[in-house]
Amino acid sequence: MFKLSDEGVAYVKKELERYETKRSAIIPCLYRVQSENGGWVSPESINYLSELMDLPVAWINEVFHFYTMFNKEPVGKLHVQVCNNITCCMLGARELTEHISKTFEMGIDELSKDGKITLSKVECLGSCDTAPMMQINDSYHENLTPESAVKIIKDMVHGN
Amino acid sequence: MPKLTLNGKEIEVPAGSTIIEAYKQLDEPIAHYCWHPGLSIAGVCRLCVVEIEGNPRLQIACNTQIQEGMVVNNNSEKVKTAVKWGLDFHLINHPLDCPICDQAGECELQNQYMEFGKYDPEMAEPKVKKRKVVDLGERVVLDTERCILCSRCVRFTNEVSKTNELGIFNRGDRSEVGTFEDKPLNNKYSVNTVDICPVGALTSKDFRFKQRVWYLKNKPSICTGCSTGCNVNVYYNEEGVFRVKPHYNKEVNGYWMCDEGRDIYKHINRKSRMLRGRYKQNGVWCTTQALEVAKKAGQKLSSFKGEEIAVLVTGQYTNEELNSLVDYSVNKLGSKSVFHWKNNENNWQDFDGHLIRGDKNPNTKGLQGVLQKYAVGGEWKELENQLSKFKAVVVAGPENQSVYFDIKEKIESLKSLECVVWFTAGENSNFEKLSDNSYLIPQKTSVEKNGHFTNHQGLTQKVEEVTTILPEALNLEETVSLMLGNSLDLSIRDKQEMGVLKTNYFSQERGSL
Repeated sequence: MFKLSDEGVAYVKKELERYETKRSAIIPCLYRVQSENGGWVSPESINYLSELMDLPVAWINEVFHFYTMFNKEPVGKLHVQVCNNITCCMLGARELTEHISKTFEMGIDELSKDGKITLSKVECLGSCDTAPMMQINDSYHENLTPESAVKIIKDMVHGN
Repeated sequence: MPKLTLNGKEIEVPAGSTIIEAYKQLDEPIAHYCWHPGLSIAGVCRLCVVEIEGNPRLQIACNTQIQEGMVVNNNSEKVKTAVKWGLDFHLINHPLDCPICDQAGECELQNQYMEFGKYDPEMAEPKVKKRKVVDLGERVVLDTERCILCSRCVRFTNEVSKTNELGIFNRGDRSEVGTFEDKPLNNKYSVNTVDICPVGALTSKDFRFKQRVWYLKNKPSICTGCSTGCNVNVYYNEEGVFRVKPHYNKEVNGYWMCDEGRDIYKHINRKSRMLRGRYKQNGVWCTTQALEVAKKAGQKLSSFKGEEIAVLVTGQYTNEELNSLVDYSVNKLGSKSVFHWKNNENNWQDFDGHLIRGDKNPNTKGLQGVLQKYAVGGEWKELENQLSKFKAVVVAGPENQSVYFDIKEKIESLKSLECVVWFTAGENSNFEKLSDNSYLIPQKTSVEKNGHFTNHQGLTQKVEEVTTILPEALNLEETVSLMLGNSLDLSIRDKQEMGVLKTNYFSQERGSL
């Protein structure tokens, strides 16, 4: 059964008072749940959040399903999100995604065999000047080539 | 009150109203899906567009307030093109499976298409496939593919039932209406979402595939489910009554009614009715016409003294009927022992804050009025305590037996009397237990008679005859008249006997829903 840490609960309580309506606090609270739940939001955690925030579960689910930043399935320790919008694609983002997928033998939105990496295609991450780029967890990695991207991921898997 | 011109007609509307309300007031056609007078404004379907003079862009009528001197039309070419394209966008992912859709015939999308569409779709992409036949609890079935995302049902659960089960999940063309994790939509007003759904996305489990809507007629009536007295439309054909839907009445129920009230048609149909009159003599039940039983019962009752007769009444009859029965008791039988039988003493006063009341009788106020008028009346307990005093009892039993949980006990305690005359619309196996000199007289249900019901707030509402289910059944006035020995002009006999409700066997083969 999922539960937020004490700091997490305090964070949610603070967010609830920050906006005019409680509904506005759903996004930051969902983010908190995602980070404390190992990178994804489970149905139980939505139920839990609904009780904690005293909001209908459908309202939270609506927000959760609308935004792609909330993961619907468990993700690996490294969530590799390759930008596949127009600028990045012109500079080889599709090929880059395919190369990563082949190297680590995993499909899009699937866990790698060792369960450490998830690869996703995402829309514009607002870093067109340094295309092609990818986001791993919270950090941006820019001006990539297939080789450099694979190297970055491998380094991160080995804990550097 | 601001004045404006709509489609060339001048109209005066209350300040603060929107253009679409003015259209409704004028009874001019205007296309719309998401707007509903009982809900907040969403402005998502973009179909109610109108052209306002001096405004370069088309505006949606549902969310534009009226200003003095506005000149508005919705019949220009510009508007027609906009509506056509709006409709085309709605149809991009709509399956257009009207022939197998239960909503066909009363579908706003279908009506709209027949009026403005009738062209081949210009969309080359394949349609997005979504989930079909999603079980949403006891009463509602969801087909997300047919949904046009008008959000009426979502707003209904947020604003009216205040249960917040429904939401629109995902986004873009993958948007789906639904409940979290497909939880059942088991609130007490859930079928209203089916009524307001403009398409066949939400359908009623009880009604779907039972009858095509174009084989049904409808007439207004009053719900007999409780003392609120919601105004309803009864949908029926020669096989019986198929469903009940709310009918707008600002003072009573607004646009809504509860799920329980929708079940009232079940005790109206032949299946649960007492078809013939019965009386017990020398230990044998004899079946005959209702009017013969009434005459016999009248003769038998006249052999008792006034103080030996008790009358037990439920608030399930019209004011006129109750008046004639109590009058008969007081003035003809000479019995002032009239008792009020309540459906459930414990939750009699319950109220859920919206429509549902614990008093499950349509005419309790009316009955109290009649009892007051004749200065009679008492509770069941009083009758029970002095039961040995009486030799005969006349019972105006409930039409809706499903809310009278104590009907079996009442029969048990009354069977010791010498003579029981029981008026009833519904059949009940416990009647067999009654002893000799018992008379069972089939009564009409609320949809078969004319009269008035007085609801909890003291509002007297008219019920009119909708259809005849049992030509043989009598109403209380007729019964009383027959019991007095009068003959009755039974022109109702000429009415055609109703057919037996047919079962749609194919609906059973389609699976569990």
